[in-house]
Amino acid sequence: MLKLALALARKDLSLALRGAGLVQSILLGLLLVFMFSLSQKTGSLASGQMAAAIFWLSSLFCQTLVFNMLFAFEETQGARTCLLLSPAPVTDIFLGKALAGFVLIFLAQILFFPAIIVFLGQTVSQSWPMGLLMLFLADTGLACLGALLGALSQGQTARESLLSLLVFPLLAPLLLAAISVFAAVFGEQAGEDPTSWIGFSAAFDAIFLAIALMLFRFVYTGED
Amino acid sequence: MSLKQILPALLALAGGLLLAAGWWLIFMYAPTEAIMGAIQKIFYIHLPLSWWALFSFFLVFLCSVAYLVRPGEHLDRIARSCAEIGVLLTTLTLVTGMLWGRKAWGVWWTWDPRLTTALIMWFIYTAYLLLGGLNLSEQRRRMVRAVVGIVAFADVPLVFLSARLWRSIHPAVFANESGGLEPEMKLVALFSVLAMGFFWLGLVLVRCQQLKSQDRIEDLLSTEQNREEQTEQL
Repeated sequence: MLKLALALARKDLSLALRGAGLVQSILLGLLLVFMFSLSQKTGSLASGQMAAAIFWLSSLFCQTLVFNMLFAFEETQGARTCLLLSPAPVTDIFLGKALAGFVLIFLAQILFFPAIIVFLGQTVSQSWPMGLLMLFLADTGLACLGALLGALSQGQTARESLLSLLVFPLLAPLLLAAISVFAAVFGEQAGEDPTSWIGFSAAFDAIFLAIALMLFRFVYTGED
Repeated sequence: MSLKQILPALLALAGGLLLAAGWWLIFMYAPTEAIMGAIQKIFYIHLPLSWWALFSFFLVFLCSVAYLVRPGEHLDRIARSCAEIGVLLTTLTLVTGMLWGRKAWGVWWTWDPRLTTALIMWFIYTAYLLLGGLNLSEQRRRMVRAVVGIVAFADVPLVFLSARLWRSIHPAVFANESGGLEPEMKLVALFSVLAMGFFWLGLVLVRCQQLKSQDRIEDLLSTEQNREEQTEQL
């Protein structure tokens, strides 16, 4: 059943890694890290909270670019109808796109993380396994909403900016959770037990995964 | 003129009169709050605005679900009008809340769960309204709007929950604000909610009719254009 999803993810990944698409999103993220470091006074170090916020904002911008790219593949080739005609459920297309997006965001984050440590002078505390779990949960949420709403933006600039307008506020709760846990990873004193944030993110993912699986077939149709 | 046509005007008129009566009650009947003084009277405007805003968004959600189950133009029109009026009321809620907050808490803004939720809701539904400008076929645009209407409402409780978790990390700027209301105050508040409800329903109906006329005019224009093109070809 997931055959199409895996095949689609593999196709998208090989296309994305071959072209300049992913490089562009990574570059934007790194640039954001650099630009935000301008808000610091010379010589002073960024707080863990701020570093965490910058890390997740970079990931967020990367997410919108990644999903715009993933859905543009079919649009530029006019292959959306072919994809829809294939004898597999439409949800497989969603899963394929979400999986490819998840991998691409994760690849970009592998570069963002050391950049944050180096440029913003952070150290990693002992709660890093919690951070890793949070990374997985938050990326799942980013991929879910990105794959559901990314289908709205098919190549045109006006639509691309609209995607970020929609996705940013929708993801605000998840980002709040991710930033809180990552602040603790960067050694910030956490007042609240991070496990409650982990639970919250898992709930967020579950709700939006279910909604996306139900609604994707209405968004991704053969009409223009 | 049929009842259907004048109903919105009647409702808006009733709402206006009731709101005027509400103003009288607010200043003449309701007692002045002991600590906050006259500024507390914003509450009688603020509460109905925020309740009806939330209700509008709930209706957007219901209409969106109904549209996906059984597509109908009227459902999309109701959802669109409710979203517009919801955004308007949320804007006013935020403004009145800030005015009150400046006086009562000493700050214009604090990241309290309710405030955060209202602000994020405002962002989400403003983006929802922008979907109308998408260069899509009318049918697909309606579908997209319905999907976003559902996703947006599912987000609202999550925003509230996350903001509450967030706040428990930081000390609260103010303690629990819901001190017991005097019975007179409660009565005036409920009356304001009711008056605003009439006004709200009138606005929604007017907006629905406007959108209906707009759709009809656009339909007529496109048929006319098609006909002209056909005669040119002949």
